[in-house]
Amino acid sequence: MRNGKALLTQTLKAAACTFCLFALCAGPVAAAELEETDSGAPSAMVMFPVTGDGTATKGSMKPAVFNHLIHEKAVSDCVTCHHTGDPQSCADCHTLTGSPEGNGITLERAMHATNIAPRADGNTPKSCVSCHEERYKAKQECAGCHNIVVPARDDKWCAVCHNANVTPEQLAKGSAGSLTAEENLEIATKSVTTKVAPEKVPGYFEPTKVIIDTLADEYQPCLFSHRRHVASLVERIKNDKLAEAFHYQPEVICATCHHQSPLSMTPPKCGSCHQTKIDPANPGRPNLKAAYHLQCMGCHTGMGVQRPANTDCTTCHKAKPAAE
Amino acid sequence: MNRRKFLTFMGTAGVVSALGTAKVAEAGVHTFPYYDNGYGVLHDMTRCIGCRQCEAGCNKVNNLKKPDVPFTDVTVTHKRRRTTTTEWTVVNRYDLGHNEFVFRKIQCFHCNDPACASACFTKCYKKNPDGSVTYDDTQCVGCRYCMVACPFYIPTFEYEEAFDPIIQKCTFCHNRLEKGQLPGCVESCTMDALTFGRRKDLINIARKRIAENPDKYLDYIYGEHDAGGTAWMVLMPKPKGMPQIATGNAAEAAPAMKKIGLDTHLGTQPMGELTYGALGTVPMIISFWPVIFGGAYGMTKRREAIAKANQEKAVAEERQKTLETVVQCIEKEQGKEAADKARAAMTAALDEQDAKAEKGGEDK
Repeated sequence: MRNGKALLTQTLKAAACTFCLFALCAGPVAAAELEETDSGAPSAMVMFPVTGDGTATKGSMKPAVFNHLIHEKAVSDCVTCHHTGDPQSCADCHTLTGSPEGNGITLERAMHATNIAPRADGNTPKSCVSCHEERYKAKQECAGCHNIVVPARDDKWCAVCHNANVTPEQLAKGSAGSLTAEENLEIATKSVTTKVAPEKVPGYFEPTKVIIDTLADEYQPCLFSHRRHVASLVERIKNDKLAEAFHYQPEVICATCHHQSPLSMTPPKCGSCHQTKIDPANPGRPNLKAAYHLQCMGCHTGMGVQRPANTDCTTCHKAKPAAE
Repeated sequence: MNRRKFLTFMGTAGVVSALGTAKVAEAGVHTFPYYDNGYGVLHDMTRCIGCRQCEAGCNKVNNLKKPDVPFTDVTVTHKRRRTTTTEWTVVNRYDLGHNEFVFRKIQCFHCNDPACASACFTKCYKKNPDGSVTYDDTQCVGCRYCMVACPFYIPTFEYEEAFDPIIQKCTFCHNRLEKGQLPGCVESCTMDALTFGRRKDLINIARKRIAENPDKYLDYIYGEHDAGGTAWMVLMPKPKGMPQIATGNAAEAAPAMKKIGLDTHLGTQPMGELTYGALGTVPMIISFWPVIFGGAYGMTKRREAIAKANQEKAVAEERQKTLETVVQCIEKEQGKEAADKARAAMTAALDEQDAKAEKGGEDK
């Protein structure tokens, strides 16, 4: 519960913000480059880690660029993110070191926390990462792969958002909180507009068919329509902005099945790591048969594919003709 | 010793023994050695599809009776089945709600401290260093105490056998482990829902899986501590919409565990330890009773002997006194010689009488 003074301060800040916004929209500087938002907020902004004491941050991470325009279109209302009901900046309460206004939740946590405990009143706050997670788990097209793969939290993953091209001077100014709104918008717009969508490379869906016969014993070999599967996945997610941003390279989609190895158009075969019999040195690594089943069924289960049933063996690999 | 003293003594002994057993329980003395390198199996329910291949594998490697319903019929999993003498493992389907169905494999958990073994008074059960709990029927008397003791209702009795019925239960394929082979069910699992390995490694694997997919799994490894720890452990799915629990919090995990038929009230204490308190006093009673009753008997005996000796002494003194009086009278009237003679004759006669009386008494 905020006290009256804090409320007053925030109201004043909001008023100041609105003033700035009007000033911005009127200004011809960078607004022409990006479509305007419905709410009147800047279409994109660089989220500088404001230290609060006028000093620059020492971190090596690039500041994140927040495309307000596409996020505004993706959510139902402003309260989804602005959970206090005021269109104030996240960093007002969630400071770098945490403050009583922000319930001690730091800016870093407010942006990245996952598995946020549901609140009793039903108004569970969201972070950027938790909202993205929620989205890909709920959407059928995404839920399949994301049921069997956990996105690696590596540098490339971070760089999807932390991609603002700022000069050291701009960073120093931004983190000290002395960068003007116009300057901020200019940098953000430049980062958003210069971003290139990943290209489709030739042979992306190859090979057309894969015959899985190394284990054929009880059943006939399995015929896997590789091209059809990949094409279908790519087709279904082509208009999804979130998928487009995080599948920053075409190989990222391949990495669902061809996991654990570096991104490549010629990834190693399943059998390169998964042995027919389980390796006692790696008891946690599934054997080859289980690896196939886990990937295929995990994805199908995640997407809610009803047929074939997981226990309907002969749909994927036909029964052997009875011996005469 | 009077009654009051006896009761006071027994009371003190009781308190002392109670203190002694409390100390035993505190020290956590195991009746079974803990095999740090023992094997185990982790059943990941999120992977299990209920194909019954583990049941088929178990049946095959253990040469069990062919089932009435073929293993390809997966609809039998919808019933709450239990292990039987010819089905050492079964897979059942459980409803988590929200149209979400999961499967759980049931077999012997191969406890670190097996309750069945602690209940068996003919020592048919053995906890092996490889982690398995095996049963040897040679000394079995068919008391079925093991069936009562097992918190998972696993050992089954051959009621249908008219002669020499024995217990049947999962052996962890102990004979196959010795040959370096995997248990039948693990080998035939098509999804690697059963992961075989050293128990301590499995716990790490389970933790890793939970950490990587906190939304998928319940943060609880069933069998890590339950019933004193088991070699076979279960990794459970988190029902949709349920908030994640605090790591390993049994009370919070209970509602989800109940849905999949796992017992939540077993606690972390080995089943055998629960009976140590009561059974621990048995040897004490056995060792104290001979001392107490032997002592009481000895005291009575001694008192009787003293009384008898005193009586005899009094009798002898009285007799001597009478004898002397008589002899003195003879000496006065007939002289010293006659007196001596009379004394000797009377002593001899009295001794003879005594001897006769004693002999007669014995005869009686």
